[in-house]
Amino acid sequence: MEYVTPQHFLLLSFLLFGVGFLGVVIRRNLLLVLMSLELMLNGVNLALVSFSRAGLNLDGSLFVFFIMTVAAAEVAVGLALLVALYKKRRSVFSEDAALLQN
Amino acid sequence: MESVLLSILLLPLLSALVTLLFLRKQGNVAALLSVATAGGILVFSLYLIFQTGNSTYAWETSWLKLADWELKLGFLIDGSARLLLFVVSFVGFLIHIFSLGYMAEDDAKARYFGGLSIFMFSMLGITLADNLIMIFVFWELVGFSSYLLIAHYFETREASEASKKAFIVNRVGDFGFLIGIVLTYWTFQTVNLQELKSLVQFDPSLVSTALCLALACGFIGKSAQFPLHVWLPDAMAGPTPVSALIHAATMVAAGIYLLFRIDFLFTAEALSLLAFLGASMGLFAGFCALGQRDVKKILAYSTLSQLGYMAAAFGLGMPGIALFHLMTHAFFKALMFLGSGSVIHACHHEQDIFKYGGLRKKMPITALTFLVGVLAISGVNFLSGYFSKDAILLGAYNQNLMVFILLYAGALLTSLYMFRLYFLTFEGEARSDASSKARESSILMTAPLLLLAALSVIGGYHELFPTALVGVLLPDLGRVATMPNHLWMVVLGTAAWIIGLLAARFFYGKGGAEEPLQDRYPAFYDLCRSKLFFDEIYGFYVSKIQDPLARFLEVMELLFISGLMVRGSAGLSGLLALVARTCYVGKIHAYSFWFILGTIGFVAYAVGLFGR
Amino acid sequence: MNFVDLLFLIFATLALGGGVLMIFSRHPVSAAMFMIVSMVSVAGLFVLLEAFFLAILQVLVYAGAVMVLFLFIIMLLDVGPDAGKTSRVKFISGLAGVVCFGILMVLCLIAVVDASPVCGSCSSWPALSENSLVNGQSLLFSTSVKSFGFGLFSKYMLPIQVAGFLLLAAMVGVIILSKRVALDR
Repeated sequence: MEYVTPQHFLLLSFLLFGVGFLGVVIRRNLLLVLMSLELMLNGVNLALVSFSRAGLNLDGSLFVFFIMTVAAAEVAVGLALLVALYKKRRSVFSEDAALLQN
Repeated sequence: MESVLLSILLLPLLSALVTLLFLRKQGNVAALLSVATAGGILVFSLYLIFQTGNSTYAWETSWLKLADWELKLGFLIDGSARLLLFVVSFVGFLIHIFSLGYMAEDDAKARYFGGLSIFMFSMLGITLADNLIMIFVFWELVGFSSYLLIAHYFETREASEASKKAFIVNRVGDFGFLIGIVLTYWTFQTVNLQELKSLVQFDPSLVSTALCLALACGFIGKSAQFPLHVWLPDAMAGPTPVSALIHAATMVAAGIYLLFRIDFLFTAEALSLLAFLGASMGLFAGFCALGQRDVKKILAYSTLSQLGYMAAAFGLGMPGIALFHLMTHAFFKALMFLGSGSVIHACHHEQDIFKYGGLRKKMPITALTFLVGVLAISGVNFLSGYFSKDAILLGAYNQNLMVFILLYAGALLTSLYMFRLYFLTFEGEARSDASSKARESSILMTAPLLLLAALSVIGGYHELFPTALVGVLLPDLGRVATMPNHLWMVVLGTAAWIIGLLAARFFYGKGGAEEPLQDRYPAFYDLCRSKLFFDEIYGFYVSKIQDPLARFLEVMELLFISGLMVRGSAGLSGLLALVARTCYVGKIHAYSFWFILGTIGFVAYAVGLFGR
Repeated sequence: MNFVDLLFLIFATLALGGGVLMIFSRHPVSAAMFMIVSMVSVAGLFVLLEAFFLAILQVLVYAGAVMVLFLFIIMLLDVGPDAGKTSRVKFISGLAGVVCFGILMVLCLIAVVDASPVCGSCSSWPALSENSLVNGQSLLFSTSVKSFGFGLFSKYMLPIQVAGFLLLAAMVGVIILSKRVALDR
């Protein structure tokens, strides 16, 4: 590896994070919003692992482990909420879940 | 021994609590309980007095501990404490019994007797306490119970206002007392009386005039001396036994007792100031008494005058004589108050002496005992007042002529207004329905009168009392006994009461529904009646100086504390909430923008956009 | 450009491309498919970074469990292409998103050009030492699963307990959520 440096990974992780954020913002289908969140988490994971490798420190990788745990739990709860919402509203779109809007 | 002490102190408190909790509707049971308590206190006190004998007994325990500062709860039984303990428990017991008769038809007996018990508790606390802070606590409790009892007839405007006046005026004095305690602690690092005494003996330069005058403020307030004397005459709105117990025999005497306990702290300047204050109070109150028509107010001013005598005796460096006069005064003044209570009770709460008259034939026991009291207070030879009062006069004559002149004029006036009271009440013809139908009171009321009358006669012979009681008086009595001019003083003293008697006979011997002084010397009478305009001066001060200041402070408070700080901070957070609420739009997508803004800020910080 | 660099380019392109296609795809099922592509590519990047264990976890947990769950839910709810709804993407919202994206990228470029604040020596890859575990004093980066386990059960003892508890709570929560809906009906 001569050409690819940790900075490339950093750039890539930023891009993944940004694309995920764009997805969260422009999509109204809550399923897609959840997927985009996963994409953002992936971007963060990538940055953490590349730092961990560049700094020869295992802590970053261990954090990725925890992030995966949290992501799994989040997806499970998020999808359950989504199913509950769908059963009430017959819709998975965010504008239909805006009861608190003032 | 400490168990006896604690029982003396806690018995009345227990009685008051039981009355408060269980006996509010059963007035008769409460009355009996209270009287039994007073009897128990008397028994315990006598046991304590004779058990300790001539020795000094001290006991203390920790009460409150804050870091390395400790407040002790303690008792100090020495000669003065024994004497006052005897006076309080004995006179208190007699007045309790008298109250059984006097308050028999009252609706709120439970409240009255509960209040008496509270008062006994507080007064005994002052008597036994061994440090200034403890004295202060009971001092306030005494003020509170006095408030409670003055306001017994709270339906009347007079009583409710008098109770407030008594409380507030006392508070003024107590504030000075509190400052004095703080100063004492500042100077000596202790408030324990015994430790203070040894410290002062070790280094006399520690005492200062400011310190002892601040402490004397407590005395001035509680004993109703100038300029805080205005509350005592008004306090007569309470039931008569209360006036006898609190406002003649014990509570107002507590001020003298306090002075006695801390007399080693006083400097010569403070003492001479007190002597002048006391002597002029003795004269001034005499004039005021001459202008009064209400029997209890006359007695109240007479109390002021006698307290002035005690203060003068103390100021002349004879605290033992002051305490001696305290004791004899407690006997004959309680006797006269109870006698007036008997008269008032018989005349259906008529208190104007110009509406009495001719009561001697209808109430022979009351009249006789009252006469004994009058003779004693006027200083008639060989009665109790003669010994204590002439001792004061003799001491004054030999030490300070100015004080003597004031006191002697006061003595003339005393016998004048006292015989005036006697003649108008008991001699001549009945001048109203109430007095013509009066009948002698029951045995419950006359028995205490007879006992007190006996004591008023023999109370001056200190040899009759055990040394456990009067031992503390002996040094000062011995000093007075060796003073010159004894015979001269006997002549002068006898002349004083005889002149007063003749003048009273001349003016009031025939009775009459109108005040003869008013016709003959209207200017003099109006001056007496006005009480030197003290109430008016205080009223002017309160309405013209204090109230505007209070209003000004209130505006400031509204503006700055309530307005700027309280409302202002609430308004500020409300404003913030208003701003923050606009962020709360209720849409998932909007929230994700807040999140990304936070992320951007964080990354910007990480790359060093905000500086390192 | 050697073989590893080429692999990086391929995986990076796949990950980004998958992500972009995912957020713009109309049908949820195809979005999920693009998502799987993106995740597997990230797993490949992990391999390039010599984090083999994480790469396997990535494939198992994300591509395997999470995305299967997504697909399952998509098919359960029978969500079709959100035809009319996608066109209703608000212009303002999209514009703000793009602006934020742009700012983020600019910041990222600053970080990449001037790497020192973010990571000390990010311009090269240090060599891995043979014995990665120094008495557990400091956790050095290592390829072995054993050092992962050691780190998790020594320094991260409490967090892993908490994570376990979190999973339990999530499970209970999901059961309650599903059940309550059944009761409401």
